[in-house]
Amino acid sequence: MQKLIEARDVYTNFFTFEGVVKALNGVSIIVNQGETYGLVGESGCGKSVTVRSIMRIVQSPGRIVGGKILLFLSREDKGQGIDILKRSEAYMESIRGNDISMIFQEASTSLNPVLSIGYQVAESFLLHRLDEMLKETIDTLKAEIESGKLFITGWWKKFQGLLFKAELKGLERYTDMVAGIDRRLYELEDSTDKISIDERNHLNRKRDRLKKTVFVVQCVRHLPFIKHYGKKLHKTIRIHVIDLLKELGVPNPQNVPDMYPHELSGGMQQRIVIAIALACHPKLLIADEPTSNLDVTIQAQIIDLIKNLKSTSIASVLFITHDLGLVAEMCDRVTVMYAGDACETAAVKDLFKEPLHPYTKGLLRSVPKLKAQKELESIPGTVPNLIHPPSGCRFHPRCPHAKDICSEDKPPLTEHSEGHFIACYLYT
Amino acid sequence: MSLINYIIRRILLMVVVLFGVSLLVFSIMMIIPPGQRVAIYVTQEKISPAQINAMIKKYGLDDPAPVQYVRWLKQIFSGNFGYSITASAPVIKGFITYFPVTLELVLYATPLIILVGIWLGTLGAVHKDKPVDHATRVFAIIGYSLPTFWLGLILLMVFYGYLGIFPPGYLSNKGKNILFSPAFKRYTYILTVDAVLNWRWNIFWDALYHLVLPTVNLILLNSALILRLMRSSMLEALGQDYIRTALAKGADKRTIHNIHARRNALIPVITISGVLFAGLLGGMVITETIFARDGIGLWMARAALQMDVPAIMFNVLFLGTVFVVFNLIVDVVYAYIDPRIRLV
Repeated sequence: MQKLIEARDVYTNFFTFEGVVKALNGVSIIVNQGETYGLVGESGCGKSVTVRSIMRIVQSPGRIVGGKILLFLSREDKGQGIDILKRSEAYMESIRGNDISMIFQEASTSLNPVLSIGYQVAESFLLHRLDEMLKETIDTLKAEIESGKLFITGWWKKFQGLLFKAELKGLERYTDMVAGIDRRLYELEDSTDKISIDERNHLNRKRDRLKKTVFVVQCVRHLPFIKHYGKKLHKTIRIHVIDLLKELGVPNPQNVPDMYPHELSGGMQQRIVIAIALACHPKLLIADEPTSNLDVTIQAQIIDLIKNLKSTSIASVLFITHDLGLVAEMCDRVTVMYAGDACETAAVKDLFKEPLHPYTKGLLRSVPKLKAQKELESIPGTVPNLIHPPSGCRFHPRCPHAKDICSEDKPPLTEHSEGHFIACYLYT
Repeated sequence: MSLINYIIRRILLMVVVLFGVSLLVFSIMMIIPPGQRVAIYVTQEKISPAQINAMIKKYGLDDPAPVQYVRWLKQIFSGNFGYSITASAPVIKGFITYFPVTLELVLYATPLIILVGIWLGTLGAVHKDKPVDHATRVFAIIGYSLPTFWLGLILLMVFYGYLGIFPPGYLSNKGKNILFSPAFKRYTYILTVDAVLNWRWNIFWDALYHLVLPTVNLILLNSALILRLMRSSMLEALGQDYIRTALAKGADKRTIHNIHARRNALIPVITISGVLFAGLLGGMVITETIFARDGIGLWMARAALQMDVPAIMFNVLFLGTVFVVFNLIVDVVYAYIDPRIRLV
């Protein structure tokens, strides 16, 4: 199987007033192309931080302090992957929403209350598919000029076409320059001598600077007179937005773009969030507890929707949840996390049939079952404070099988059987 | 369509509010004993108590309050607000000469106050706990804590006294000569506008030049509040979930700040801006005194000292109207910025 993204020993800390919260303690996960990957664990165990680290959107005061996040896109790498932690912010902006996108828990707060649905969805197109949109607009203008009879509007449309062509040309030049920088950056990827590191930093800065020109273009487009000509472009994008909404089963897709988030129900809001994420057909969709705070019927609808999308338009899904039932139903492979540690990674069937890590065992025992008559079991103890996490294996204070070594060293992730990785001294 | 309905309804409500304001103003007037209120009718130098009593009777100053109130309202509706001693003219005329001076300063200063406040506030929030943020904080603290008269005097002392860059007063002598010549027509009584309408660019630049110091004074003093408010609400907006969505979408920092966060952060700022604007229109006694601008604040200070009751009452009524109107404007702007607020 071909890898899509790999996080290798990622450490993320939050620098708060109370101290450094060591939220991720060397997490490693690998998402392959075409699979649905699950990430489970109780709340606060670092699932969300893991995926935010993967997208590099850990917000202040958090920071990724170590590790590698390798992205395997077919575009420019040759199978080794690009370490996105070394890349510029502008590069990440071109990846986010385009190759990797994310949907969130609580759709109602994830949508901006003062911007229309149409704008919020269209922004994805504006950010990543501007060239295609411009080309389409130019084509429709051409068609209109040919079919139109009025003299004056014809000239106006030709003028509009010229402006769009100029913008497209500028954009193409920008894309070429950026592609050049990225190619060079990829060549420098593994070199560690000082000259190439300097060059890498220089190129990263240059890429950030280039991004500013895009902002200037945006500002120009908002000028009073020119704003008017831009409407044509927005009309083109609007058609795409409506198509997308239709695809996602939003009722009344013609009118929804003019609405605001508060006018929609929770399920519809979640669909809009999915629409924003899917606008550019990402290779990886990260779903961060997409069904919490929705009622059960809507939950089922959203899960079905994601399943359908998985079979049609997106390659891989990274699914975060604390619902083990959902994992069993949705995922191919799964990683169990505890307090910033990735404990166990296995295929779903293996994990449920033969859980190895003591935490996984405890977790599975504490799931209510229909036939069970006994009292529900729980894991004794509480989740540790991550400012002063337990030394060694973070689970050892609660672990029934803890040995001396458990409190001294962090257990390495080892392959127990094929595809079944585990970080525990019981199996080494 | 609902917006127009809403505005019409609010204007109708405004009438009720203004009726309340007029009652309040009238009761303020009734606190003053008739013997003092009669003073505005007295024309001769010496007057006996009997004559005073006769005048009180004549003008009905000891009638029951409702009767006097109706009479006063009638006067107001016929456009007669009385005679102001301090302006040596009817109140309306005094208002027309003094108010535009204030209005001019406010029209130049308020947009700048709001822009500076919003800009620096955004800057502070975006660069939280960095040197820029600390600089804006220092600026705000200075603005909060300096007394108006002190800052105004220091500005005059430095820029007029020592450096001689900016002049005091509201127009140079040469300008005043032209201003009072019959060829110069006063259309609006706002100096800069009149100068442009008369095609007298030298007067325009002169007037603008004299506006700099008072405007700077007002900006330094008033933008501090807007700055702090903008900073805190911008910080709140930047911590919201929708910012994370925008980040995950691949939006760059500028787009996030300018489109996603700022509009949400503006709501509290608008409230304060409306109140600020209305408050400044009510007159800036100290600023106008220091920079010798014959505005409404200065007039009110004089009127209060000399018991110029008609002038004070007119201005209280005027200020009440201004506040009500600005509240309406603020509500309409709210609805424009935040679609969740439906005006019905």
